[in-house]
Amino acid sequence: MKTQSELTDFYYKKLHPSLIRLEKSRKQLSHRIITVALIYSIVSLLTIFSLYKISYNLDIIIFGGFLYIAGGGLLYKYLIKDYTAAFKQSVIAPLISALDKNLIYSTDAHIPSHYFTSSKIFTTHPDKFEGNDYVKGKIDDVTLQFSDIHAQKKHKDSKGNTHYETLFQGLFIVADFHKHFKGTTVVLPDSAQTTFGTLIGHWLQSHNISRGELVKMDDVNFEKKFVVYANDQIEARYILSNALMQKLLEFQKRSEYPVSLSFVGGNIFLAIHYNKDLFEPSIFHSLLKYRIAMQYVNTLHLAVGIVEGLKLNQKLWSKL
Amino acid sequence: MSTPFIVLIVLAIILVLMYNSLVAKKNQVQNIFASIDTQLKKRYDLVPNLVASLSKYMEHEKSILEDITKLRAEANKPNATVRDTIALDAKMSAALGSIMIAVENYPQLKANENVMHLQHSLNEIEEQISAARRAYNQAVTDYNNALEQIPTNFMANAMNYRQKQTFVIDESERKNVNVKELFN
Repeated sequence: MKTQSELTDFYYKKLHPSLIRLEKSRKQLSHRIITVALIYSIVSLLTIFSLYKISYNLDIIIFGGFLYIAGGGLLYKYLIKDYTAAFKQSVIAPLISALDKNLIYSTDAHIPSHYFTSSKIFTTHPDKFEGNDYVKGKIDDVTLQFSDIHAQKKHKDSKGNTHYETLFQGLFIVADFHKHFKGTTVVLPDSAQTTFGTLIGHWLQSHNISRGELVKMDDVNFEKKFVVYANDQIEARYILSNALMQKLLEFQKRSEYPVSLSFVGGNIFLAIHYNKDLFEPSIFHSLLKYRIAMQYVNTLHLAVGIVEGLKLNQKLWSKL
Repeated sequence: MSTPFIVLIVLAIILVLMYNSLVAKKNQVQNIFASIDTQLKKRYDLVPNLVASLSKYMEHEKSILEDITKLRAEANKPNATVRDTIALDAKMSAALGSIMIAVENYPQLKANENVMHLQHSLNEIEEQISAARRAYNQAVTDYNNALEQIPTNFMANAMNYRQKQTFVIDESERKNVNVKELFN
């Protein structure tokens, strides 16, 4: 696998012609978006205002406001559609195949929802499961797949209005794990201990009825960052060896976002809570900017790098 | 209901909770120890085969192989206490560790399929024993803490609970040194 700096080189050197071409259409697009937004806003405001003048009903302003925002969103999506497709085809797809030739990329597909549910990272079942930018392949004989995921839960308030609460938005990764195990081990970011301190935090964690038994790990730094629940105390420690705990801490540090993970049915599941749609083109900033480029390079390198980073390719003899 | 009666009920509930939590902690230690015992037995079962395969080739390490056989015989004695098991495990781990390093000096052993098979089985069991030891140490730490902390220490004293011993985890195991990585 290419290193991060090799991938950055690839981005700026090999992809340079495509980036220049995309940069031209990006500039045109951003001008077009501003013009359309201005016209759309003026027309909408005038319409809402004139309708309001007829009846002096405040509901018109509220309803019009909602329509204005929803319509604006749809219009924006329509305007960037072609540019997004061109960007994914000429930037994200080559980056992925540069990382590893065996990886297949699909812009519209996503990780099947049964993986999300069976991971047991989330205790609530999502009502709406969307995603894109699906990558799948075998690296060093380890099956790896990941995609952007947005899982939501439907709620109805007392007035009967429906709204959606985000359960998870970010990168969801599934890979083969190199050790045999039967039970479930879930590792979550430690919010209770950070908020309430060690004593109360531990008490709260051990009384979490929606999870399995609390497993206290013997790595102080790991305990500070994560909380572990499992249905087998010994198996959880067999999976989370001292070496793997160190590697997960490094992984968490590199990802810069909260990471939840679980070990179920021979797989490792990782959910990185980016809270945004990933691998989408930048519209108002140049694609040649280092900060923008590194977002794509880092995220992809992080996801594909788990095979080497967490040593998933060092299979135990019994799994060979 | 009178106030003293309510106070008495609350006090009784607290005492029951304390008693139950101490019993749960003691049982957790025992349960995990039983798992360690199973894993250790699995490892001892590999010993005769291992010694038989290695002794043909290893002239200089005869004494270590004899030690390993002796340790196995000791472990098989009935009525071994927890303290004995912990001490034997430490000796056995050290002896097996040095034998496995010595195997590296015998190319004919490294090429022997039976020896490789034993070595792999041993590695896997070692990983499982290590996990069980860590789980045991955590359970014992929780138990020992309850024995020292207020207010459970009074109850533990009345129940005649005594502090338990943990496994000493080898520093090299804690670091998980990977031989392959040393040469990278």
